[in-house]
Amino acid sequence: MLENFSFRTIVEYLPLFGQGLVTTVWLSALSFLGALAVGIVLCAMNLQRGWLFRVPAKAYIDAVRATPLLAQLYFLYFGLPRLGLVLPELVVGILALSLNSGAYVAEIIRAGILSIARGQVEASVASGMTYVQRMRLVILPQAFKVTIPPLLGQAIVLVKDSALLSLISVAELTRAGQLLASDRFMPAEGFLTIAAFYLLLYYCLKGLAALSARWLGTAGARL
Amino acid sequence: MTSNPKGPASMTTTGMIDFRGVNKWFGPLNVLKDITLSVQPREVVVVCGPSGSGKSTLIRCINGLETIKDGDLIVDGQRLGDPATNMTRLRTEIGFVFQSFNLYPHKTALENVTLAPIHVRKIPRAEAEQAGRELLAKVGLADKVGAYPAQLSGGQQQRVAIARCLGMRPKIMLFDEPTSALDPEMISEVLDVMVAVAEEGMTMMVVTHEMGFARKVAQRVVFMDAGAIVESGTPDEFFSHPRTDRSRAFLSKILRH
Repeated sequence: MLENFSFRTIVEYLPLFGQGLVTTVWLSALSFLGALAVGIVLCAMNLQRGWLFRVPAKAYIDAVRATPLLAQLYFLYFGLPRLGLVLPELVVGILALSLNSGAYVAEIIRAGILSIARGQVEASVASGMTYVQRMRLVILPQAFKVTIPPLLGQAIVLVKDSALLSLISVAELTRAGQLLASDRFMPAEGFLTIAAFYLLLYYCLKGLAALSARWLGTAGARL
Repeated sequence: MTSNPKGPASMTTTGMIDFRGVNKWFGPLNVLKDITLSVQPREVVVVCGPSGSGKSTLIRCINGLETIKDGDLIVDGQRLGDPATNMTRLRTEIGFVFQSFNLYPHKTALENVTLAPIHVRKIPRAEAEQAGRELLAKVGLADKVGAYPAQLSGGQQQRVAIARCLGMRPKIMLFDEPTSALDPEMISEVLDVMVAVAEEGMTMMVVTHEMGFARKVAQRVVFMDAGAIVESGTPDEFFSHPRTDRSRAFLSKILRH
């Protein structure tokens, strides 16, 4: 079985995989930043008491979570141009990942905020802080730490979801695997190699999270 | 302003805290029943009563942690629920000490004390820190300035919490069972600090069963049961000659221990 496995071809295609990897990394990073922005806005809307902001935010989060990312991606890629908005595929890809992941990030941040003990809110209210002050000084610094592990999980999901962008011909990592598979009829080599690269990215993200946890981990930050 | 700290509450006096026919419901439950009570400036009032009698709710209404359904509640001359009353500003005049301390776990003792003075009162950082160190020294924690709450005992945390309130230079201090979550040997260190605050002339309402504290500094003890004020009198009157069956039953239970 292994005698049919061509390491030589993988080496030959390494520059292509390298390019794909670099593209996957930076477009995932941009998308994750976008998702954080979308998530923070959605979460802020969702935590309002009035329905005016809360209802649209909830509807958006439900819509994104209920539908496949592929359908969302195809809507943006094939649907939007028919409605008169033509965007480059990279932009569509980053937009799709940001908008999709943002819904999940919103829920992660909301859970983090709600996990902060009620007494913290009461203590800051009682000291005369405004909503913005208690969010900024008391709630968010504590919530941020709690949300790092689930946010990391979401970042890992996002990196893997970015593989779907190969379907709208973005030259990312999975696309490189597809090229090797179709050019040389070597799907085993192609897809196993990209799997190895995704695994590598996974460990990088885990290391990053451990670093940030240590950086944020002041002595008293335990509840 | 009439000032007769030991006198009975009346509808006409304007105290630092004035409850006038206040009612509050949690769903169908009438948790505060027609409360009328006036606390004068510099007066210390101890509120006691069985669990669920509405004592905590009573003092939580004063800084708006709970809202009232009807009646008037006037604090420092401002009517709560009135559109003209800036609740956020009024709260800066009212310190609130919680049963569970509620210190900010991500801040040091000093940062806990200076956070609101710096950001709410807009006091320059250096000045706030100077005042914060003095306050922590006053509550006996000069050596714990840089400690995080998790590194402090319950009694120490509660003393930081009191210093945190004092840092705002409030006109009123409210205490919601400040020693109930503490191990017995830590209760006195917190009560000592509270006595010192009372002796400096702070207007205080204290929900507690600590009779020693009540006898020492309170001008008045208010006994609540089932959402209503059942009895009100000097500590001596109340503890030595309770007038109602319910207060006698209550006192016999807490005295037995």
